[in-house]
Amino acid sequence: MKKDHVFLMMVLPAFILFFIFHTYPALQGIFYSFTNFRGYGDWDFVGFINYFNVFQDGRALSAYGFTFQFAIVATLLVNMLSLFIAIGLNAKIKFRKTLRAMYFLPFILSVLIVSFIFQFMFTHMLPQLGQALDIDFLSRNILGNQNLAWIGVVIVAVWQSTAFNTLLYLAGLSTVDDQVYEAADIDGAGSWAKFWRLTFPLIAPFFTINMVVAMKNFLMAFDQIIGLTGGGPGRATESIALLIYRGGFEGGQFAYQSANAVIYFIVIVAISVIQLRILERKEVKG
Amino acid sequence: MSIKKVFLLPAAFGLTAFAAGCGGTDGGDGQVTLELFSNKSESIGTYERLIEDFESENPDISINLEAPPEAETVLRTRLTRGDMPDLMSIGGNATYGELAREGVFKDFTESAVLDEVQSSYVDMLNALVGPESEGNYGVPYATNANHVIYNQEKVDELGIDIPQDWNEFIDVLETAQDAGETPIFFTLQEAWTGMAVWNAVAGNLVEDDFAERKNEGEATFVDEYDEVADKMVQLLDYGHSDNFGVGYNDGNRAFATGGSVFYIQGNWAIPEILESNPDIELGTFALPSNEDAEENELVSGVDVVLTVSEETDHPEEAEKFLEFMVSQDVAEQYIDEQSAFSAVEGVFQEDEVFDGIREYFENDRLTSFPDHYYPAGMGVENLVQDFLINQNKEQSLEEIDNEWDANQNR
Repeated sequence: MKKDHVFLMMVLPAFILFFIFHTYPALQGIFYSFTNFRGYGDWDFVGFINYFNVFQDGRALSAYGFTFQFAIVATLLVNMLSLFIAIGLNAKIKFRKTLRAMYFLPFILSVLIVSFIFQFMFTHMLPQLGQALDIDFLSRNILGNQNLAWIGVVIVAVWQSTAFNTLLYLAGLSTVDDQVYEAADIDGAGSWAKFWRLTFPLIAPFFTINMVVAMKNFLMAFDQIIGLTGGGPGRATESIALLIYRGGFEGGQFAYQSANAVIYFIVIVAISVIQLRILERKEVKG
Repeated sequence: MSIKKVFLLPAAFGLTAFAAGCGGTDGGDGQVTLELFSNKSESIGTYERLIEDFESENPDISINLEAPPEAETVLRTRLTRGDMPDLMSIGGNATYGELAREGVFKDFTESAVLDEVQSSYVDMLNALVGPESEGNYGVPYATNANHVIYNQEKVDELGIDIPQDWNEFIDVLETAQDAGETPIFFTLQEAWTGMAVWNAVAGNLVEDDFAERKNEGEATFVDEYDEVADKMVQLLDYGHSDNFGVGYNDGNRAFATGGSVFYIQGNWAIPEILESNPDIELGTFALPSNEDAEENELVSGVDVVLTVSEETDHPEEAEKFLEFMVSQDVAEQYIDEQSAFSAVEGVFQEDEVFDGIREYFENDRLTSFPDHYYPAGMGVENLVQDFLINQNKEQSLEEIDNEWDANQNR
């Protein structure tokens, strides 16, 4: 009985803080999504009208389009790159510890600062390179091009978040027993076969968690976009998080964007669950 | 340390921080502390100097200046929390109108401060609030001008006369281009800078009551902004090679170092340009978007409204600060440092940079910023930026119409 008490005391503060600063505001948001609240002043209940309007809102739909395109590409790139780097850093190479520390650095930097630095590079340095090499599409700022700006956002997002996923893969790789490889060597397996038949299946749970976490993070992209393009040119790189912030806080559409946020919450949960289901099934098979 | 104490510690810490956060309003010895909320990062230095003067005149009042980035958003969230600043120095735009309709500002109708300022700007603010609310909820303080800034040296070199109508303006741009100069430096990577052009062009071409009629469903962008859209696209031909790849700060720097002959921006850009190159000689003129020279007016609006929260605990001290601000010396210092124009009666901007537009102020040839009357949430600047990139006039104007209408349903 005494023990229960102690454990409860360990969990309770976190629970209370989480409830006050996360659950309660989320419930408030759901509540307000059924009203015409502007963030202040009087309001009435309006039922599901906000939800119907979101589905007819071209701006919201194009934000969904951009966000998914961005999130899928960035998730795939981050996972390929970080797995690649993790395998390299896991091998017996010189300066292994130093290199590991260096590869982790981007994660410590603020996303916003990274974005501003990259914005400077895209605006001033990359066009000079493009002009010197006579490459037409590079000789202008790619962030000013509606078809290319999203690639700039992807580059920054991938550069910044590869660090954390590499760390997770490294943790996964350290769980693989060296004896497995020795056995494979005796059987005469090549390094390609060793990776696909041994390493990858053994770290599959880490692959799953990395895919889900990366996807969820990129679906909520905000800082990179504020720092790089502000959602432009036009609305080419307006993510849903940015739209909710813009409309809700700048435009006085508090209730309407709350409805958008609720829909988006459901979408993210659904995607995460589907991802987990598919990837976990793969894990068992592997 | 017992377990209980360990858990109380963070709670106690939290409470102290909370108390510190709340306790700002009154100092110990009858001192009153007011918060001044400003939306302009450009004026932080000026306000700090003015506050120092005010505090030495009024030792029992101290003022904290708060000038956060994205100030309008911050102000809205503070309104949601029911925590409005005592004093506000904000832009005279759609957000001001919305907040005033909500009744969060004090009514100055009975106040003597209002007698010190030009009544035409008071009317301009009331137009933003709309006809339903009677009362004057802000004191117009500084006003601005949206104009064409030119590089005097280049203009002299090219032998250009200041254009009075649209055709002359295009001729001048041609002359500059033929001489191998960049006529206009656009900074359209930042969408809002497109609105400086949009407002300058539309101010002279679209009727003043457009927004009112649009709200009643009697006007559309497709019908009335057609010419504006054509002229915007026409101007784009006289830009540089990367119109959408350069932002505002880089543009100021580029123009300051001879990057182009003309620069379409408001007076707020002038201190920034001079900071990059203190030796540059600048001039200004109103963008003559109308073919008829007589019809061309200067786009000008209320850049700074001073107002007081309806719920402040210290209305008298706040009013004292406003009285200080509208006194002649202070108003002069403000416009000198900010290259702005004053709404205070009898205070004029003497800087020769503005020789070209002084006549518009003197003869009241002013028109207001069209976009100040657009709904705040529609994000028109991104729609205009999109239009300038794709140049699909009908489709873009239709979309602007639709966003306006949709905005009223949210």
